[in-house]
Amino acid sequence: MNPGLIITLLAHPSKGWEQVKQEGMTIKQCYARYVVPLSLIAAVSAYIGTSLVGWRVGYDNTVTLTSNSALKLSALSFLAMLVVVYVLAKTIHWMATTYDSHRPLQDCFLLAAFSAIPLYLVGITLLYPVPWFIYLIGLPALGYSVALLYTGVPIMMDVNKEKGFLFSSAILAFGLVALVGLIVVTVSLWGFGIGPSFST
Amino acid sequence: MNAISSEVYNYKVVRQFSLATILWGIVGMLVGVLIAAQLVWPALNFDTPWLTFGRLRPLHTNAVIFAFGGSALFATSYYVVQRTCHTALVLPGLAAFTFWGWQLIILSAAITLPLGITSSKEYAELEWPIDILIAVVWVSYAVVFFGTIMKRRVKHIYVANWFFGAFIVTVAILHIFNSLAIPVGMFKSYSVYAGVQDAMVQWWYGHNAVGFFLTAGFLGIMYYFIPKQANRPVYSYRLSVVHFWALIFTYIWAGPHHLHYTALPDWAQSLGMIFSLVLLAPSWGGMINGIMTLSGAWHKLRTDPILKFLIVSVSFYGMSTFEGPMMSIKTVNALSHYTDWTIGHVHSGALGWVGMVSIGALYYLIPRLYDREIYSVKLIEIHFWMTTIGIVLYITAMWIAGVMQGLMWRAVNEDGTLIYSFVEAVDAMQPYYFVRFLGGAIYLGGMLLMAYNVAKTIGEGKPVSAPVLSPAH
Repeated sequence: MNPGLIITLLAHPSKGWEQVKQEGMTIKQCYARYVVPLSLIAAVSAYIGTSLVGWRVGYDNTVTLTSNSALKLSALSFLAMLVVVYVLAKTIHWMATTYDSHRPLQDCFLLAAFSAIPLYLVGITLLYPVPWFIYLIGLPALGYSVALLYTGVPIMMDVNKEKGFLFSSAILAFGLVALVGLIVVTVSLWGFGIGPSFST
Repeated sequence: MNAISSEVYNYKVVRQFSLATILWGIVGMLVGVLIAAQLVWPALNFDTPWLTFGRLRPLHTNAVIFAFGGSALFATSYYVVQRTCHTALVLPGLAAFTFWGWQLIILSAAITLPLGITSSKEYAELEWPIDILIAVVWVSYAVVFFGTIMKRRVKHIYVANWFFGAFIVTVAILHIFNSLAIPVGMFKSYSVYAGVQDAMVQWWYGHNAVGFFLTAGFLGIMYYFIPKQANRPVYSYRLSVVHFWALIFTYIWAGPHHLHYTALPDWAQSLGMIFSLVLLAPSWGGMINGIMTLSGAWHKLRTDPILKFLIVSVSFYGMSTFEGPMMSIKTVNALSHYTDWTIGHVHSGALGWVGMVSIGALYYLIPRLYDREIYSVKLIEIHFWMTTIGIVLYITAMWIAGVMQGLMWRAVNEDGTLIYSFVEAVDAMQPYYFVRFLGGAIYLGGMLLMAYNVAKTIGEGKPVSAPVLSPAH
């Protein structure tokens, strides 16, 4: 991992994207150097936060997950995070021809992975698993990721800014649908009894 | 294209409904923001019965759906049917009656609902005398609309009119059958249906109010204003016709998903769920047609914020028509039902799809109805961003609130007792209710900006009339 690249991307998005493009990592390299380590931030934080720190609702005792349950859920969400980037990259690649872009899958993957960097980083908030706190920090991070996406699409996908706006909006619409899908899958699993077990 | 003799389009009624749309949008959303604030700070009902959440909530829903949405549909359908049929509206007197009649209905609702006069049917709260007036105005609307279509100068009936037509016919049927009641006084009546039949008829009505009033009608708007603003033909005409028939056939069966795990027979619930899932296909047919039509107009995006409204509206249409079928799955519904997830879902449709496509259509219409440029494109751009930010805050807050509620309500200790009392779940909602209030207030702020922009555009000058154009072929 190259922290300099991450900082450049966050501070000067256009410059950062140019660098990402120049470096031209393969998908495997990107997984090994960025996606896996960055996803671990959220996964490890979630495990520690939900099993050891816990949260309080109302005036009750602190609620935590049993460490077994926390481990299972963190591992599952870790895997989900790895899969989601690839699915997003595939979708971007599939939509690209509509916007006259012919970049390889590799570039689509870099676009998906690096747009998500703010979200990876705020994974650390899961150490303190109180929903409103995570939401408060997560929402600006989400906004930043969306902004990165909008600046990244014209650069990574070789389209002009106007087409980039439409392309990014299409990606965002897919992202929203995927997010809803993720909530639904999670809720369904809980419904079938594969869910968190709490200890108070 | 040449003008036909001296005939002019009837723009007067379109102008009236367009301005009414903005006015009622602001009123309805203001009430919404007020009741959202009451959920954060309960003292805001001032211990006054007619300011309580229970009475203002139906006022909010009626105002935004029927006053704001309804006026937008009247305005756009009257405009579109004239332009695409190359003829003025038939029976201008009756068209004027639909405007004043509709305003009278809105006014009656604004008085009776805070007084607590209600049939208690959701989205059909108005009592029987007002229901009769609605039926009369609606039938007049149908006469004007279909009369104009019969008088058309082209053989073809443009697809937007199909959607408007289906919406008008179906809403008439839904309203009349759901509102059948036995009056016991001027302001009180009882539904002719009893028990679970009443619930089933209610949600047959309720879900198709969404399906036809808030979807088919607004797809009519999409099919005219998106190609016009993008200056391109519809991406696939065949797709528009196929998804039209699929949509109207499927929607009418989806109502029972509002009654999962109730006294409704289980098979009827499952049937409702299956039809709701099938509905994804025709819904996305519409979304694909909208997005692909817009995608060719990329070069205009830099200068045209109206296009941004339209594309984001179609994206939200796609998202919420995916979310809806998912929430109708019984396993998911077991958690989501009665939670704020439902409220979030409704508002991604209402603020995202219905609101944004209406706003886009109005920004298209106003300059043409008054034959002058819009006062400020910059303000439209700001309005667009306020709208988008408002929606995002609203929906994300409601997702978290909803899932948390669902989890807290069903969390049990090992001995089977509930972990949380209900009020603890209410207490946990406070931060999200605040964010929802904030999102709604920002959206409302955008509407106020629009009102200012439109007022400045209309200004002092007199509106002009436009001659009817002869068909291109």
